[in-house]
Amino acid sequence: MTAVTERPRTAEAPLVPRAAPPRRRASPARVAAGLTIVALLVASLVALRSVEIDPTRMLQSWSNAERFFGRVGAIEFPPLGELLSLTALTLGLVICGTLLAAVLSVPVAVLAASNTTPGPAWRAAARFVTVLARAVPDVVLAMVFVLLFSLGTLPGILAIGLHSVGMISKLFADAIEQIDEGPRTAVRAAGGTRLQQFTAGVLPQVLPSWVATVLHRNDINLRGSVILGYVGVVGLGREMSFAFKSLDYGLGLGYALVIFVLCVVMEVVSSSVRAAMLGIAPTGRGLGDRVVRRATRRRAAASSGSVVPEAASGASAAPVSVDTMLRRPWDRTRVRDTSWGAIAVAVVVASVLVCDIAWSDLVSVWSRVPAVAVQFWPPSFGSYEASTMVAAMGETIAIALAATVLTLVASIVIGSLAARNVAPSRGVRSGMRLLLVGIRGVPEVILAIVLIVVTGLGTQAGTLALALGGVGLLGKLLADSFEEVSPGPERALAATGATRLQVFAGATLPQGTRALVGHAFYMLDTNIRAATLLGIVGAGGVGYYLLNASQGSNYGAVTAIVLMILVTVLAVEVLAMWMRKVLR
Amino acid sequence: MTPHADPAETVVSLEGVTKRFGTTVALDGASVDVRRGEVVVLLGLSGSGKSTLLRHVDGLERPTDGRVTVLGREVTALSGRALRELRSEVGFIFQQFELVPSLTVLENVLTGSLAAVRGPRLGLWSYGRAARAEALARLERVGLLERAYQRADTLSGGQQQRVAIARALMQRPQVLLADEPVASLDPESSDQVMALIREIAVDEGLTVICSLHQVDLALSWADRIVGLRHGAVVLDTETEGLSKSQVMEIYGRVATSTEQMAAIELELAGDAVR
Repeated sequence: MTAVTERPRTAEAPLVPRAAPPRRRASPARVAAGLTIVALLVASLVALRSVEIDPTRMLQSWSNAERFFGRVGAIEFPPLGELLSLTALTLGLVICGTLLAAVLSVPVAVLAASNTTPGPAWRAAARFVTVLARAVPDVVLAMVFVLLFSLGTLPGILAIGLHSVGMISKLFADAIEQIDEGPRTAVRAAGGTRLQQFTAGVLPQVLPSWVATVLHRNDINLRGSVILGYVGVVGLGREMSFAFKSLDYGLGLGYALVIFVLCVVMEVVSSSVRAAMLGIAPTGRGLGDRVVRRATRRRAAASSGSVVPEAASGASAAPVSVDTMLRRPWDRTRVRDTSWGAIAVAVVVASVLVCDIAWSDLVSVWSRVPAVAVQFWPPSFGSYEASTMVAAMGETIAIALAATVLTLVASIVIGSLAARNVAPSRGVRSGMRLLLVGIRGVPEVILAIVLIVVTGLGTQAGTLALALGGVGLLGKLLADSFEEVSPGPERALAATGATRLQVFAGATLPQGTRALVGHAFYMLDTNIRAATLLGIVGAGGVGYYLLNASQGSNYGAVTAIVLMILVTVLAVEVLAMWMRKVLR
Repeated sequence: MTPHADPAETVVSLEGVTKRFGTTVALDGASVDVRRGEVVVLLGLSGSGKSTLLRHVDGLERPTDGRVTVLGREVTALSGRALRELRSEVGFIFQQFELVPSLTVLENVLTGSLAAVRGPRLGLWSYGRAARAEALARLERVGLLERAYQRADTLSGGQQQRVAIARALMQRPQVLLADEPVASLDPESSDQVMALIREIAVDEGLTVICSLHQVDLALSWADRIVGLRHGAVVLDTETEGLSKSQVMEIYGRVATSTEQMAAIELELAGDAVR
């Protein structure tokens, strides 16, 4: 060992290549992609200046914060009965909305998946629907539906439902495309129809991922329901917006706290449902997964002493025959499946009941559609100057860019320290993971509202809220990506005596770069959508005008602003898709 | 030959079948006749066209040229319901079993009866009691009755292939096609599965076409061996009284490329070691 490391380097033959090595040719597309990244970075730095993130001013605003917390006094809660009924309403509404999306996403996904679509035209149409549904913010849909239905839970349900179709059907279609074609071919070979091939060969394979996606989306929708309250959708979010508008900060923060707790509880519940119903071991690092994993481990440890092998107890004396086997034994699996099924049905029924859906509205609403549609068309900026609007949209983009770059910097540090193979110790890793989970638990809107109260209205609050919230997601994604890199190069570098930092820079980071770029674009994509919405709570950008126009019944302007948002979101989506393709 | 073999009746007939995928020729004017009750093994190296030939019998592929007749019907002329009906009379067993891993063994077997019912089915109870009883009987036949309510992916490879056989039997087929049914199995399970296929063929009077690449197995289980090379039939002989070296010799004579010869030598060497 020592002989190897102490061999003098000078004794080696000089490592000078005789001929210059061939230069690596970069394809024009890669050059363009590289230039785009540089341009985006420059734009982000410019954006950072323009959103006035200024450490000195932020320090000064601490006095604001002190004043704010002085004014809040004690955090207040509404009476328990009211709180419970509001919570039930919010949960029911979100679950109904997600459920609607879950049902609608099945046909869309089947048409959009390359291996189940009837034809390329169907596929293109379905893909367009998914992209469009994702691009139109649920808040905008809620505005329209609030106008159409005026009262009740239907506007919220429909807004959540139609918007969520985008994400659920996209992920569902991806899952369908990744199935093993074998079982489907087997059904085909047995003479099954196309529909039977799907239900017997495809559906059982993708059902777990569909349920997981729907549960995940339900978490997202619960967070999003806060902002829906600002445009009049009933529930905790609306009560919170009322409290803040009437400057009752104590009560507002009380609602915010309830929503935060609700979000965390929901994450725990959905994680345990995934684990129990689908047999998916909770391997994730979300708060929910952690709790579930810990609980099940304890249970397993407790029962391991007195475990009776299932075969021994189940086989008993009676010999199996076709007749005895016709009745399915109530073994542990069946009991578990049946009880989860019953709970799921109960939750769905309870949600529908709690929402007290005015079904007749679904019929009567059509007569109002033409009148409302006319109000939204043609798009015009109305009393606003076009230049103001474009500037506002620019501000939104600036917020998104600035937030993304701030998130990126913070996430590289925190995400690296949260990765098993980079963190200097287990303690650091666990601490960072916990920090990330905590950040993710807070809905961005609540972050923004608190920040607005602290730093005042404007772009600064929006940027910081997005940047902070983004760290929770990007930090986690980066940590996971770093942990997934091949360990070989790291070991090789460590074996040469490189320091921890050198190993990180020389082996981990280069392997993780591609994932890093991908995640950063995903973050930008998400941030653009989120930035348009944060304006609604007063965090700067085009969202403020969107809410104003809607509340001032200036619907032509709503259409115009939505079109601007759509174009921007689609442009970023196309850019992100192109980058992913080029850099793959 | 199995007792049911009827030399007079041809149930599967390929006449000059050619299949091209782009520029590659998968089948090159292949002609094979299989009589009722016969157990025929298609022998050939990988890429020789065995799978493609089997898939033509079930109408999963359409020939570029030539004619495929199965159970008196011209497969190439069938479509829609008629094609599905023919497929339901032809069982298919795959190398990778192709069970749905997350479903119970019983529900996997039940999917074999889909052609007999109308519309989609999801969940055990959607199939009806009679179908469930039949499926359980099929599972008993392959010796896996007590596994009926386990997830398919909890079974070993050999057991999964037996479930797949039960699924094929659910179709009440007249012809059974098996595409390298034991290639993913260890030698012991291979023998079990091949024995089961042979037994069932005799009991139910099934006509079996099975592709293999091991000469040993082919000799012990087949009535007749059809050798394929580059998509063309290069050998068609009864197995009775045939020795392994004879088959290898014929097989070697037709495998002209050095690559194939090397592969055959490798296999012979492997057998010697075994």
